[in-house]
Amino acid sequence: MMGLLVFREKLRSFYGKYDAYLIPLMKFALSLASFYLLNGNVGYMDKLKNPVLPLILGVICSFMPYGIISFLAGLLLLAHISSVSLEMTLILAVLLLMLAILYYGFQPGDSYLLLLTPVFCHLRIPYAIPLLVGLSGGLTSVIPVGCGVFIYYIIQYVKQNAGVLTNDASLDMIQRYVQVMRNMMSNNLMMLMITACAVGIVVVYLIRMLSVDYAWHLAIVSGALVQLGVIFIGNFVFDVPVPIVELLVGTVVSTGLAFIYNFMVFAVDYSRTEYLQFQDDDYYYYVKAVPKITVSAPDVKVQKISAAKKKRSRDMYER
Amino acid sequence: MLNEEKIKLMTSIGMFEKREGKRVFLMNRFFRSDYIGQYILRAFVGFTFCWIMGTVLAVLYKAEDLFNTVDFSVLPEFAVWYVAAYIVCLLAYLLITFVVYWRRYEYAKRGMKVYVAKLKRLEKRYDLQGKLGHGGKKL
Repeated sequence: MMGLLVFREKLRSFYGKYDAYLIPLMKFALSLASFYLLNGNVGYMDKLKNPVLPLILGVICSFMPYGIISFLAGLLLLAHISSVSLEMTLILAVLLLMLAILYYGFQPGDSYLLLLTPVFCHLRIPYAIPLLVGLSGGLTSVIPVGCGVFIYYIIQYVKQNAGVLTNDASLDMIQRYVQVMRNMMSNNLMMLMITACAVGIVVVYLIRMLSVDYAWHLAIVSGALVQLGVIFIGNFVFDVPVPIVELLVGTVVSTGLAFIYNFMVFAVDYSRTEYLQFQDDDYYYYVKAVPKITVSAPDVKVQKISAAKKKRSRDMYER
Repeated sequence: MLNEEKIKLMTSIGMFEKREGKRVFLMNRFFRSDYIGQYILRAFVGFTFCWIMGTVLAVLYKAEDLFNTVDFSVLPEFAVWYVAAYIVCLLAYLLITFVVYWRRYEYAKRGMKVYVAKLKRLEKRYDLQGKLGHGGKKL
């Protein structure tokens, strides 16, 4: 345990020292992953499919705010989908525009979730997002996470039905549009995942805020179980097909990630909790103080004493 | 000689300016009603625009049914429900906007008070230093 705490302190000091380089690096990694995810799954526009393009965009995005990165990813997604289906492009463009106006009009600063959620879905660990967001964010983050899941399933839908969407010349534009809308709205797996994520975030957030010992641990475990519960209910009651092994492995990995996050940002020692009570003119205060676990990273300095110096000093001593 | 208290004060002032400055100083230029009012107006325009776009999507989706089984007698009733739904949703959205920006303004006002108090303390430190001479010691 002590070794882990020392490692955490080292990581913290490393981040503090090099955050000017690490933040752009993280932005670069996230934007690169997002652009490659788009090109790999829905890369239907040949001009944008060049593998160098995500690299160039990634380098540019390293110095941009997350809002701009999301905007660029949205444009890339729309450009690719427009090569397959104009109807789908229209629907997605309108929905993204509505999200930008109605939610991001408040400038909440969590647009990175729009990128991170599809990436985590692609890595088969979407259950980590509600746990991490519930621990670190607020309830309003349900909206970008839900939209991220929606975008992921749109990408999957376009990927699986690209042939049908491109070659369906027997239907006119309105009929194709109706078909796309109907397919999107009848995607029960997408609805189930959005519900599971939303319920997961709410449960983790509410339990995390409780004034009980090990609230964060409880929140993580409860969040993981609630997500599993929602998905199982969807599976049995609404007959939504869910790959069980993938679900269980994904949940275990997600829970592990959430515990690592907890260790990194909220390591406290509940055995040394102190309760204080005092008053002023207006209030009585009942304070619970939980000390943080802190260790100082060992600052080892190796001083080399050369043999020649030693010899000289011995000679001087003998004299 | 370094004055530790002054450095702490200047650091906290600098941090506030870096983190919150841009937003808080901008808010401070407005009265509360003006500040919230401009965002309410913006929210009204944005919501109405989104409602129209949503309506277009819905009409296109239901276009076939609408034109096949069109019944003009139910149109007035439908229009009343449509307008009522718009007004209810608009009011809910404007209420959320009002609460969000009202809280932001209050937060900025409190932050600004603390900021000004710290500036005054810093100014007093400089006055004191000026009276005592450089380094805070009598010459």
